[in-house]
Amino acid sequence: MQLALFIIFGALAVAGALNLLLQRHPINSALSLVVVMMSLAVLYWSLGAEFLAAAQVIVYSGAIMVLFVFVIMLLNAGKEEKTSGSRAAYIAGFPGAAAIFCLLSFVFLSEQKALGVANLGGHLNSGLNNIEELSRVLFTKLLLPFEVTSVLILVAILGAVVLARKEDQ
Amino acid sequence: MAAQVPTAYYLVLAAILFSIGVGSFFIKRNLITVFMSIELMLNAVNLSFVTFAHQWHEVKARSSSSS
Repeated sequence: MQLALFIIFGALAVAGALNLLLQRHPINSALSLVVVMMSLAVLYWSLGAEFLAAAQVIVYSGAIMVLFVFVIMLLNAGKEEKTSGSRAAYIAGFPGAAAIFCLLSFVFLSEQKALGVANLGGHLNSGLNNIEELSRVLFTKLLLPFEVTSVLILVAILGAVVLARKEDQ
Repeated sequence: MAAQVPTAYYLVLAAILFSIGVGSFFIKRNLITVFMSIELMLNAVNLSFVTFAHQWHEVKARSSSSS
């Protein structure tokens, strides 16, 4: 069950990400990113994080991607022209990405014994409520990072307001 | 019990998605698609957070995942 879910939705996520890489029109990239995020939500759910899966569907696929689509439509972004591409991207970008992937997967696969196996639902099968546990941690141990994050979001809102303000003559 | 998935496979999937995000960050010409590839990288790291949270039976890591 878990292996089937992992294979199907992992392949779907990788296919969506490759489609994002290969498509030329931004709206196609946005829609393939939606596919990636939905399949990642299923993977979160299979790891026992059902609250995060719901939040992924609502926040990422619902809000952020709609924002991206609105921006694409408002800016009227067309097909990106086929340039020869900066040489630095092709010289440094692809080998860099391949090196990151090789390094990470080598470390993960060599530590495979220590990492163990994942079972469907995880420790939350034992009747513990996901939301209750999450909120308990978030409002006791992690209260300071939580509040600092809210200040960070406030700073981002202020920055957006300042940048979007019209200079009055 | 059916076949279980090693935790490392989830992490390798996260690494694949992260590398695709890095690659498309470098070759994309459009600002919006560059932002989208950054989102892809953030989601890949998020998947690794959830995987480690599942492994360590700890909910703390999961609460740090954000956009």
